[in-house]
Amino acid sequence: MTKKKKSILSDQRFIVLLVVIALTAVFSVMSKEFRQYNTLLSLLDFSYYDLLMAIGVTFPLITAGVDLSIGTGMVCYALIGGTLIRSYGCPVIVAMLVCVLLGVLFGAINGSLIGIMNLPPFLATLCTCMITRGIGSLCSATPWPGLTQEGGWFHSIYKLTIGTGRSADRYPIGFLWMVLMVLLMEFVLNHTKFGRYTIAIGSNKEAAALSGINVKFYHVMVYVVCGLFVGLAATAYAAVTPTVQPGTGAGLEMDAIGGVFVGGVAASGGYGSILGTFVGIYVIMLLKTGLPYIGLQANWQQIITGIVLIVAVLIDILKEKKGMQ
Amino acid sequence: MSEVILTMKDIDKSFPGVHALDHVNFEVKRGEVHALMGENGAGKSTLMKVLTGIYQKDSGSITYKGKEVEFHNTREAQDAGVVIVHQELNMVGDLTVAQNIFIGREPKKGFRIDDKKMIEDSKKLFRELNIDIDPKEKMHNLTVGKQQMCEIAKAISHKAEVIIFDEPSAALTEKEIADLFVIIRDLREKGLGIVYISHRMDEIKVITDRVTVMRDGGYVGTLVTAESSKEDIINMMVGRVIYEDPKQHSMVAPDAPVVLKVEHLNAGKMVQDVSFELRRGEILGFSGLMGAGRTETARALFGADPKQSGKISVMGKDGQLHEVTINSPQDAVKYGIGYLSEDRRRYGCVVQKSCIENTTLATMEEFTSGLLINSAKEKEVTERYIKELATKTPTADQLVVNLSGGNQQKVVIAKWLTRNSDILIFDEPTRGIDVGAKNEIYKLMNKLAAEGKSIIMISSEMTEVLRMSDRIIIMCEGKVTGNIDISEATQENIMNKATRNID
Amino acid sequence: MEKLKHNPIVKKLGLNRILLVGILILMFVVFRAALGSKFPIADSIKSTLNYVYFLGFLSLGVTFVIATGGIDFSIGPVMFCCALISGYCMTSYGVPCILSMVICILVGTCFGIFNGWLVSYMSVPAFIVSMASMNIAKGLASVFTKTQSVSWPLGNDPENGWFRNIVSYNGFPVGLVIFLGVAVLCGIVLYRTKPGRYILCLGSNSEAVRLSGVNTKKWRMLAYIICGLMAGIAALFFVATYTTVQPGYGDQYNNEAIAGCVMGGTSMAGGLASIGGTVIGVCIISLLQQGIMAFGLGKGQQMIITGIIVIVAVYADVSARRRKN
Repeated sequence: MTKKKKSILSDQRFIVLLVVIALTAVFSVMSKEFRQYNTLLSLLDFSYYDLLMAIGVTFPLITAGVDLSIGTGMVCYALIGGTLIRSYGCPVIVAMLVCVLLGVLFGAINGSLIGIMNLPPFLATLCTCMITRGIGSLCSATPWPGLTQEGGWFHSIYKLTIGTGRSADRYPIGFLWMVLMVLLMEFVLNHTKFGRYTIAIGSNKEAAALSGINVKFYHVMVYVVCGLFVGLAATAYAAVTPTVQPGTGAGLEMDAIGGVFVGGVAASGGYGSILGTFVGIYVIMLLKTGLPYIGLQANWQQIITGIVLIVAVLIDILKEKKGMQ
Repeated sequence: MSEVILTMKDIDKSFPGVHALDHVNFEVKRGEVHALMGENGAGKSTLMKVLTGIYQKDSGSITYKGKEVEFHNTREAQDAGVVIVHQELNMVGDLTVAQNIFIGREPKKGFRIDDKKMIEDSKKLFRELNIDIDPKEKMHNLTVGKQQMCEIAKAISHKAEVIIFDEPSAALTEKEIADLFVIIRDLREKGLGIVYISHRMDEIKVITDRVTVMRDGGYVGTLVTAESSKEDIINMMVGRVIYEDPKQHSMVAPDAPVVLKVEHLNAGKMVQDVSFELRRGEILGFSGLMGAGRTETARALFGADPKQSGKISVMGKDGQLHEVTINSPQDAVKYGIGYLSEDRRRYGCVVQKSCIENTTLATMEEFTSGLLINSAKEKEVTERYIKELATKTPTADQLVVNLSGGNQQKVVIAKWLTRNSDILIFDEPTRGIDVGAKNEIYKLMNKLAAEGKSIIMISSEMTEVLRMSDRIIIMCEGKVTGNIDISEATQENIMNKATRNID
Repeated sequence: MEKLKHNPIVKKLGLNRILLVGILILMFVVFRAALGSKFPIADSIKSTLNYVYFLGFLSLGVTFVIATGGIDFSIGPVMFCCALISGYCMTSYGVPCILSMVICILVGTCFGIFNGWLVSYMSVPAFIVSMASMNIAKGLASVFTKTQSVSWPLGNDPENGWFRNIVSYNGFPVGLVIFLGVAVLCGIVLYRTKPGRYILCLGSNSEAVRLSGVNTKKWRMLAYIICGLMAGIAALFFVATYTTVQPGYGDQYNNEAIAGCVMGGTSMAGGLASIGGTVIGVCIISLLQQGIMAFGLGKGQQMIITGIIVIVAVYADVSARRRKN
C-alpha cells in the first residue's frame, strides 16, 4: 500500500475556492456595477441564511439523507416570529428564540420520522416541507421591525450600520459570525462524538450499530442540529427580507443543498466538510448575484442552480467510479 | 490454567424454516484455543452470534465466569469481555484506523474527542501486537488483511477475556497468518479463552488445543487436538455418509468439444490472467479459499463487473468457437451463459415475485404475443419445470420468498433452463441449503451435464468439489494455481495449490 | 376480518381497495352531513373530478417511477412548465392549438428523458435529480414566459375553444372517460407487458434482474419517461379546467400526486404498484381538497393535511414491510 501524498490541489475545497476567486474576477472585469461595495454587501447579506441552512443540511447529507424542509421551514419560522412581534408585541429576542426552538422542534420531527420510524429521508422531509409551508401560509405577510424601528437592533447582528441614511457606514459583521460558526461546526464534525457518529452513520450504519453506538439517537440528533441552524437562518432571513411572504421558501433549500454538494459532500454519504460547504455556498451566491450583472435575467438563476447541483453530484459520482477501478 | 470461563449448554435456535442450532454444547477454558469446526451451514457462526447477543437463543443457558448471562446486544457482550472478530468486516471505511478501534468509547477531553490519546493508544496496541499500521490512515485505504488486523486490535482493546475469531485467515496471506498465530499464542499465554473458527485443517492442528465439531446445526463432539488425527476430525464433520464417494474419473467424453474458452482474463486485483476451457457436458470445479477470486472471475466472465482485458470464445450454432464481446449480463445471456449466484436472495431471484415471474424473467421475449404477456404459456412452462425439477411449491403463483433455499435455487435453475442456456455457472450451488436438498441439486447438476450442458461450479466445500467435478481449477489470490483432472485430485493437492501462489 | 380476507370476491378486488372505496364514500357522506348546502352534491362531484383529472395523470405517472423504487417530485413544476411553454407558444407566437398540445406533451416527455437518463445511466440519486429538475422546470418556465402568467383559450373561443372538450363535451364527462381509459392502459402496461414486468421486478431487486440479462437501465429510464409524458398530459387537463397557469408554482401537486399513489398501496420501496389503488387514492385526495375548501380553509391547511396523510401512508407501508420480514 503506497500512501499517496495528498496535494492541496486534489482537495475539492481548494479547487472550489479557486472557482470562487475566478468567478469574482470574471464578474468584476465584466461589470463595473459588480465591483461596488454595495454589491458585496448585498451578496453577503443574502448569503447568511443560505450558509446557515447549508451548514445545517450538511449533516443530514453526510448521513446520506437530506432535509428538503429547510427552505419552507425557515420562512415559516420567520413568519411566526414576525407575527409574534407584530400581533402579540413580543420582544424581538423572544421571537428569535422562538425561531430557533421551532427549528429544533421540526428537526426533531424529521429526525424521528427518519431515524426511528425509518421513513425515506426525502419523503419525510418533503412532507414536512409541505407542512411548514402550509403553517407559514396561515400567517399573514409580516415585516420584522426595520432598522430604525424599535427592536431593529437585531439587524446589527448581521450588518452594523453606523450613521443614518445614504451616508451611513455599513459593516458586514455577519460574515465574521459565519466564519466563527463554520470553524465551530467543522470542529464539531471532526472532533466530537456527534460529528464522528454522523460520519459513521453515513459510511456504514450497520457497523456503527454493531460497535454499540446508539444509532437512533444520533440519527435524530443529526436532524435536530440541522433544524437548529434553520432556526438561526430564519433570523438572518428576517434581517434581510423587508416583508416575509407566506407561501414562499420553496426552492431556497436548493441553493443550500446545491452549495453543500459543490463543497464536496459525497452523494453516497460518509464524507463532508463544513469548510467545503462554506466555499460551495459562495459559488452559488456569486452566480446568483453576479449573473444579472452580466445580462442574464434573474430567472436563469433557478436553472443554473439546478444544473450546478447535477454537475456537482455527477463529479462526485464519476470520481467515486474512478476510485473503484 | 484449566478453569472453564464460558459454557454454552443446550443452545437451541430456529429461524423460519430452518432449525439452525439443535441443543448445542460448547465450552472454553482460560488459556486455551478452542477450534469450532464444521462445514458451511453447520451453525458455527450462528452459535457465536447467539453468544455475542446478535441473535437471541430460544432455549439453553450460557454461563460466563461462573454466572449465567444473556447478552442482548454486542455492546453488552463487549462490556462483559466477550468479543467477536467478524468474518465480514465491520468497519466504517470513512473513518481512520484509530477512530474505528475506539468507536463508541472515544476518550474525551472536555467536549472534544481526544484524538491524540486515541492515536497513541492505537500505536501502543499495534506495538504490542507487533503490527505496522498507521492509525491515522483511513480504513478503506487498507488491504483486507490489514483491516482484519485492526479488527483484532479493536477486539483486544476491549479488555476481552473471550475472543472469537470467525474464519480470520480466510482473507490473509501466509505471512499475515503467521503473525496472527503469534498474537493468538500470546493471548493464550495471558489466560484468555479463544474460539477459533476455521475450515483449514492445518491451522487447526497448529494453533488449537481442543476441537468441537458441529454438523447440520447439531453438536457432534469435542476432541483434544493433540490426540486426534485429521481423519478423526473430518469423519466427525462429515459424519454419516451422506455424500457419494468422490468421482474417480471424468465423465466427459474424450472427444467432447470445447464450448467456452477464456484466455488471459483480467479484472481488477482479484482476477489476474485467468485462462481455462470448458467442454461440453463437463462440470468444471473452481476451488480455492475465500477471496481467491473465483466469484470475481465468474462475474467478470458474465459481464456483471467490468474487465480490463481478456479473450472469451463461445461455441456458436455452427459448432465453431467464436470470439465474443461480453460487456454486460445481457451479452452473456445472449451467448447462452447463465449465472447462479451464491447469494440467491440478492442476486438470484426477485424474492417478492412469484415462481412464474422468476422463471420467465430472462426469456420475456418468448412469452409475449404481440404486446401482451402470454400468461397461459408462462404458467404452463413454469409448471413443467416445477414438475421436472421437483420444486416444492404449492402453486406456480407462490412468492419465491416463501420457498426454502433449495427450492429457490431450483427456481433460478428453471430460469436458465427456460432460456435454454448451454453454459451454467453455479456459484456455491448448495450454500445455505439443507442436506437433503443438497443431494437433489447434485443429482440435477449431474443430469444437466449428462444432457450436454456445461457447468462451471464454484465451491468452497472440498467434498462437493471432489464429488461433482470432472476437472478442477484451483485459484489463489486472483490467479489460477492449478488445473487438474479429477482422477489426480486429492484434498491435499488441492489445498496445497489453493494456499500457494504460483510465483 | 380473517374470514373476510379469504372471501373470493374480496380477494379478487383486494381488501385494501375495498377499504379505500369505503373511505371515499364515508368522506363524502361526512362532508355532506357536516356542511349541508355548502357542499352541493353535483357541484362537488364536478369540482372533485376536475381535480382528479390532472392529479390523476400525475399520480399514474409517478406510480411507474415509485414502482422502480425511485421517486420524482419534480412532476408538479414540470406540469406547470409544460402548460406555460406550450401556452405561451400559442398565445404569443400563434402556434395552432393542436400543435401546442403536442408541444405540451413533448416538453413533459423531455423532462422524463432528462430525469430518467440521469437516474439510470448516470446513477445520480433520484431525489437529487428531482430537486434539480424541479428548479430547472420552474426557471425554464419563467425565462420562457418572461415571468408572465399564461391563459389558455376559454371555451367560447371560436378557434381554439374546442380543446376544452377533452374535459367535458356538452356536459358529458369526456375527461373521466379518458382518465379511466389511460388508467386501464397503464394497468395493462404495468401488469401485462414486458416493460411493466421488468419495471416491477427491477423495483423489487434490480441486481437480480440485471443478472438475468435484462437491460435494467433502459427500463428504469422508461418509467421516468412515462412519468414525464403523464405530466405533459396532466398539464393539458389542468389548463382545460383552470385556464391560467403562473410560473414558479406547482410544488404542492407533487405531494398530492405521491399521496394518491402511496395511499393506493404502491410501496415506496418499489416492486409493488397498484394502478387501481392509485385511481381511488387520487379520488380521495381530490375530494379531500374540495372538502377542505368547503370548510372555508385554505391552501395552507390543504398542504398540512396532505403532508400528514403521506407520512401516515408511508409509515404504514414501512411498518407493514418490517412486520413481514
